[in-house]
Amino acid sequence: MTGCFNFINPLAVTEEPGTTAGDFYTRNFEKKAVPGRIILNLGPQHPSTHGVLRILCEMDGEYIVRCEPVLGYLHRMHEKMGEVKTPWQFIPNMGRVDYLHPLAWTWAFVGACERLAGIEIPERAEYLRVISCELNRISSHLLWWGAFVMDLGGVTPILYAFEEREKINDILQIITGSRLTMSSFRFGGVCTDADERFKSLAKEFIPYLRERLKMYKGLVTDNIILRRRLEGIGPMDADICRRYGATGPILRAAGLARDTRKDFPYSVYHKFDFPVPAGPANDCFGRYLVRLSEIEASLMIVEQALASLPEGSHIMEKAPKANWKLPAGESYMAVEGARGQVAVHVVSDGGPKPYRVKLRAPGFSNLSLFAEAAAGTLLADAIAILGSLDLVIPEVDR
Amino acid sequence: MDLSLAIFVQIIVAVLLIIGLMVGNAVVMVYMERKVAGFIQRRPGPYEVGPWGTLQAVCDSMKLLAKQVFLPGNVDFILYYLAPILAFLPVLLLFLPVPFGPILTPLHINEGIVLILAFAGLGVLSNLLAGWSSNNKYSLLGAGRAVAQTVAYEIPMILALLAVVLQSGSMDLAKIVGQQGQYPWQWNIALQPLAFFIYLVSLVGETNRAPFDLPEAESELTAGFHTEYSGMGFALFFLSEYANMLLVSFVCASFFLGGYKGPFLDGIWWTFIKAYLIMFFIVWIRWTFPRVRFDQLLNINWKWLLPLGLLNLWLTAVLVKFLV
Amino acid sequence: MLKAIWDNIKGLYSLLVGLSITGRYLVSPRKTIHYPRQVVDDEILASFRGPLELTRGRKEPGQTRCISCQMCVRACPGHCLTVIKGDAKAPSRWIYDFSLCCLCGACVEACPAGALAFSHKVYLVATSREELKLDLLADLKARTEKEAPPKNE
Repeated sequence: MTGCFNFINPLAVTEEPGTTAGDFYTRNFEKKAVPGRIILNLGPQHPSTHGVLRILCEMDGEYIVRCEPVLGYLHRMHEKMGEVKTPWQFIPNMGRVDYLHPLAWTWAFVGACERLAGIEIPERAEYLRVISCELNRISSHLLWWGAFVMDLGGVTPILYAFEEREKINDILQIITGSRLTMSSFRFGGVCTDADERFKSLAKEFIPYLRERLKMYKGLVTDNIILRRRLEGIGPMDADICRRYGATGPILRAAGLARDTRKDFPYSVYHKFDFPVPAGPANDCFGRYLVRLSEIEASLMIVEQALASLPEGSHIMEKAPKANWKLPAGESYMAVEGARGQVAVHVVSDGGPKPYRVKLRAPGFSNLSLFAEAAAGTLLADAIAILGSLDLVIPEVDR
Repeated sequence: MDLSLAIFVQIIVAVLLIIGLMVGNAVVMVYMERKVAGFIQRRPGPYEVGPWGTLQAVCDSMKLLAKQVFLPGNVDFILYYLAPILAFLPVLLLFLPVPFGPILTPLHINEGIVLILAFAGLGVLSNLLAGWSSNNKYSLLGAGRAVAQTVAYEIPMILALLAVVLQSGSMDLAKIVGQQGQYPWQWNIALQPLAFFIYLVSLVGETNRAPFDLPEAESELTAGFHTEYSGMGFALFFLSEYANMLLVSFVCASFFLGGYKGPFLDGIWWTFIKAYLIMFFIVWIRWTFPRVRFDQLLNINWKWLLPLGLLNLWLTAVLVKFLV
Repeated sequence: MLKAIWDNIKGLYSLLVGLSITGRYLVSPRKTIHYPRQVVDDEILASFRGPLELTRGRKEPGQTRCISCQMCVRACPGHCLTVIKGDAKAPSRWIYDFSLCCLCGACVEACPAGALAFSHKVYLVATSREELKLDLLADLKARTEKEAPPKNE
């Protein structure tokens, strides 16, 4: 009955007041709502929920009184898949968990398995891992920068961010072979060695991006509209971060200089000198500034690592193959991802497949803050807070 | 009797020409908007259809014409179908008093600007109806925003125009243009820079364009008041949005930038060049700035533009009283 | 109060800065590569991992090195390979379902004979899943004939 001139009698299809529309979540949410307020379903298909996050909001006019994220629209059973595949076969999965910073996830899983098996990898491989992971972090932050400004209504910056992202992709493609879901880390090293072209491109890129960051500052950071939109919006202090287990830029913006790379040094991060930016403010603008200074910190690491890249092999001799069995036991590896602490817990009973793989997604903990931070704000502010959390929904749902 | 018949025929011919202008303007603006957006974002923009993609707008309009008019469930269908028409119709009348060229004014009205402001107020009604009848919460929020915003931004707009009216002593656009000279320093912008600035800001607010595009804020309300419209319904909203932009640009050109007068040779081309430069400016800021928040939008209006407009009006009144 | 007003007026300058930046890009050349008319440099594509292809034999370029040992089939996490053993060691059929492939490289690294490699085809297009089931032996033959046409006349 949806033809051009098929008039539907509005009286005939009006719902009765007793029967409520909506699914299980909506009905449960509605029970606590004050009559007369709007229940608004933000998502799963909403332009600024970055994928398929769904947020139920109880709105009083433009104000959000109460809200509740509903997850699971992009649940892909990665943890279960870890139990039915050999460790090697599970590596490409890790690139798909968080498609913006896949190398951190790959590193966490590969590192956990290496710890369990007691594998020492060549130093060159460690350096290559650091360089590629940091470049990947930069590209993740760049995309976030563009998408965040797009949430606030400025469409152009994301395309400028993609210029840099394409350059990073060109660089990373040389050693990972792919441009989005990179999973180039192997047990015992990395899959491809860096050539001269990689090194020269990466060296060219560092001053280029530093120059571009000045443009970012002029176009977006200093913009009065953006500052007024972000300053003082969605404060998240250290206490609420601790209660919900938030990590990464959100925790650092709250004033705690916590970084897995510094606190629990893994790989060769202890050899590099880089700052851990702890934000000036715990609002959206503070989180924005922390991420931009993290780009600069990552550039510093890449610069140092490229300068001191040792010679040698990129992968150990007799590296484990696809039918490699994990020794019995359990191990845990935490890595600093672009969104916070990425961690993988592997339990093995000595069989060909791991007994259990637990993935700790930072986005999941960070999203938990949203309901508390967004209560009482305007709808536009809630979108800004959501954007400042830098959520990647596939990672939240796993 | 003969006289009124002549005027009647004149109005009919003018309205037909204005419809042509509106459609032509929409085609040009779609192309310009997408091309400017593309160039700012360092991509080519429309490219494939026709030479340099010039036929892209024609293809878009064909698509919109051929698309199904979708009727969501539980809508108030009379208002739902009425809203796009209501958005489109008043705009036809708005162009009547605009002096396009030295002799080419569709209809000479002594109080031309009053007619424009009166009918421009009708546009918001269609937004409200569209948002209300769509049975969509996003549309409803968008409609609420549209009403508050348009009503608020009409006031500084009127104040800015009123200062020029006081200075010129006439409400007829043709007379206001006639009083200005050929060169930029003889235009009203030189005498009324503050009014021009206020008008420029409220022009963006009045036409619901970014950074003041809150009624259709896509990252918050998906598409605001026209979320549920497709096909011709959406096309009419689109057409009237661009027509409104053209109108405020014409008014701006006539009031502040000397209308059809310009260096070398007066004529209709100057009106269009000036109007399209203003339109280009609107497109340019759309692709540069983030969107303001709703309370900030109203704060800009009530705390900045309104006092400044009143101050400007008062100063003009004093100067006109004692100097002229 | 006065400071807040002054801050807002200073903010107008930041808007002009933004306009000047986008205005500069408006007149500067485009960055995109216009695909059907231009293509990406081969240098960039050289490291791209496209769909799999069979490498040439060491002695005869038209023959595969594959010894049908099924190591790749077992290593593949997506079950996208089918290798049917023919006479002697050489495979009779080599089917690769690209729609299931995640380009992880497990097969390439598992192959003891070095018979598999990533191609650099970025322009692979298909309209159905069936078209993505690639016959790699036929692909190898076609490549060989394209580069060195058969001489027997």
